[in-house]
Amino acid sequence: MLRYLALRLARAALTIVLVVTFAFVVLRLSGDPALIIMSPEAPEEAIQAFRHAWGLDQPIWIQYIDYFTAIAQGDLGVSFRDGRPALQLVAERIPATLILTIPALLLKICVGIPAGIHAALHRNSTTDRLVMAAAVAGFTVPSFVLGLLLVLLFAVQLGWLPSGGQESWRSMILPVITLGFGGAGVLARFTRSAMLEVLGQPYIRTALAKGVPWHRVVRGHALPNAAIPTVTVVGFMVGSLIAGAVVVESVFSWPGVGRLLVVSVSNRDLAVVQCILLLVASTMVVSNLIVDLLYGVLDPRLRAGASGGH
Amino acid sequence: MSVTTAPVAGSIGATRRKRTKVPVLVIVALTWILGIILVALLADYLRPYGITTLDLRSRLQPPAGFGGTVRHLFGTDELGRDVTSRLVVSIRISLMIAIGATVIAAVFGTTMGFLAAHFRGWVEQFVLMLIDFQASMPFLILALSVLAFFGNALGLFVVLMGLYGWERHARISRGLAIAANAQGYAAAVRQLGAKPLRIYLGHVLPNIASTLIVSATLSFPEVVLLESGLSFLGLGVQPPMTSLGNMVGYGREYLTRAPWILLAPSTVIVLTTLSVSLVGDWLRDRLDPTLS
Repeated sequence: MLRYLALRLARAALTIVLVVTFAFVVLRLSGDPALIIMSPEAPEEAIQAFRHAWGLDQPIWIQYIDYFTAIAQGDLGVSFRDGRPALQLVAERIPATLILTIPALLLKICVGIPAGIHAALHRNSTTDRLVMAAAVAGFTVPSFVLGLLLVLLFAVQLGWLPSGGQESWRSMILPVITLGFGGAGVLARFTRSAMLEVLGQPYIRTALAKGVPWHRVVRGHALPNAAIPTVTVVGFMVGSLIAGAVVVESVFSWPGVGRLLVVSVSNRDLAVVQCILLLVASTMVVSNLIVDLLYGVLDPRLRAGASGGH
Repeated sequence: MSVTTAPVAGSIGATRRKRTKVPVLVIVALTWILGIILVALLADYLRPYGITTLDLRSRLQPPAGFGGTVRHLFGTDELGRDVTSRLVVSIRISLMIAIGATVIAAVFGTTMGFLAAHFRGWVEQFVLMLIDFQASMPFLILALSVLAFFGNALGLFVVLMGLYGWERHARISRGLAIAANAQGYAAAVRQLGAKPLRIYLGHVLPNIASTLIVSATLSFPEVVLLESGLSFLGLGVQPPMTSLGNMVGYGREYLTRAPWILLAPSTVIVLTTLSVSLVGDWLRDRLDPTLS
C-alpha cells in the first residue's frame, strides 16, 4: 500500500512539474514579453528596465529555476492589464464558477449513473434506447448550441428565465442544465458499458448459478465492479470543476473563471492565463490522486502494489 | 492500456462476421457526410455571393419561407451578408481544419506509438508520460494557453487542433505494434533483414490500419466540436474568414432579432458530429468490437 501511494504521489508531482515546464517553455517560445507588453517603439532603456525587472536578462536555466521558486512560493505574477496579483484575480472568480459547476456535477451524477445502470439492466428496452439516444445527443450537441437554444426557447420565446447575468438563483438554471446535460450523457454511456461488461463476467454467472437472487448479484457483485471505471470519469469531472465551464460561462455572460480565461486569452494577459492553467492542473492532479486512492479502496487487487488500472 | 490483446479478439470477430444489412440510420448519416464533403469541395461554385459581399438594402432578412425571398435562401445578417454563402464557405473551412487536425493527430500519435513499441525502455516511459500528461489535462485549457501565448494564426491553429487526441492513437498503435512484434510475420520480415522503418510502415501499419481508422473516425467529431467551440469564443478562426463556430458566435448577438444566423450553422455542426459518430460506432462494431 505504501509503495502504491509513493508511486502515485511521484506521478502527481511529475505532472505538476510537466505543466509548469510547459507553461515556461511556451511562455519563452512565444517571443520577448518585453516587446509584447511594451510597444516596439518604446525607448531601449525602458525595455532593458522591464527585462531586468522580470528577470529576462538572466540565462534561461536561471530563469527556469527562478520561475519554479516563485511558483512554489505562491507568486504567480501580476496581471499585465490590471496590476493586481493574478492569483487574487482568479481566486475572486472561483466561487462564481463553483456555484455553477457543483450543481451541474450533482446533476450529472444523479441522472447519468442511474440512467446508465438502468439502461444496462434493461438492455435493448425502450428506456435503454432513449437513454442511449440522449447520451449520443449529449455527446454531439456542443454546449454553446444547447445553451443558445435553451436561451432562445426559455428566455426569448417564453420569457420564463433570464438569458444571462448573475442576478438571482433563476439565472443559474439554464447554465446548470447546459453544463449537466452533456456530462450526464457521457456518464450514462460510460456506466452502461461498464455494467454490461461486468454483467458478462463469469463470476456473475457463478453467483447466479449458486442461487444468489438477482438484486443481490447486482448490488453485491455488479455495481462495485462497475464502479471502478465510472469513478475515473467522475474524477475527471471533479478535476475540471474550476475550468469546466469556459464555453458555458461565455454563453451566459457568467462572471466566473472561464470568462476570465477567455478575456485574458484575447488580451494576452499571460500571468492570469498561466495562473488558471496551473490551478486547473493542480485540481486535476489532486482529483486524479484521490481517484487512484479510491481504486485502492474499491479494488483490493491494487493494494498489493501492482501498478495499472486507469 | 490493455490494448495489447485487441488484434486477436478482433480477428476472431472478423471471421465470424455475418454479412448484415447496413442500418438505415447509418445510410442517412453517410449520405449527410457525403453531402457535406461535396458542399465543401464545391463551395466556390455553390455560394451565390461572396462571404463579405454586403447587401445593405436587405439586412437581417429572414430565410425563404419565413418572410424572406429566394434571393437569400437562408436569410442575411446584420450587414446584409448572405447566410447561405457564409454557411457553405464555413463548412469548407471547418471541415478542412478538422480533417487536417485529425490527420496530424493520427500521424503524430501513430509515430509516437511505434517509437515506444520499437525502442521500449526509457523512450517508451517518456511517451507514456506524455500520454498520461495529455490525458490528465483538459485540452481546451491547454489550447487556450497556447493561443494566449502565441496569438492566433490559421496554421498554428490547425497544428494545435492536431495535438488533440494524438495520445489515443499513440496508446492504440503502441499496444498493437507490441503485439504485432510478437507475431510471426513481423519476426519473419525482420529475419529477412528488413529495416525497422520498412517493418513498421510496410507490414505492421497495414495490419493495424483498420483500428486506427476507426479511432480517427471517433475523434473527428470531437475535433469539430473543439474547433467550433474555440471559434465561437472568438479565439479560433479569425474574421474575415468564417467557420461554423464563428458564425454561431456572431449570430448570438442577434439571437432575438435574427435567430436564423445562428440556427443554420448550429444545425450543420450537430448533424455532422452526429453522423460521423454514428458511422464511427458502426465501423467500430464491424471492424473492431474490442475498441471502446
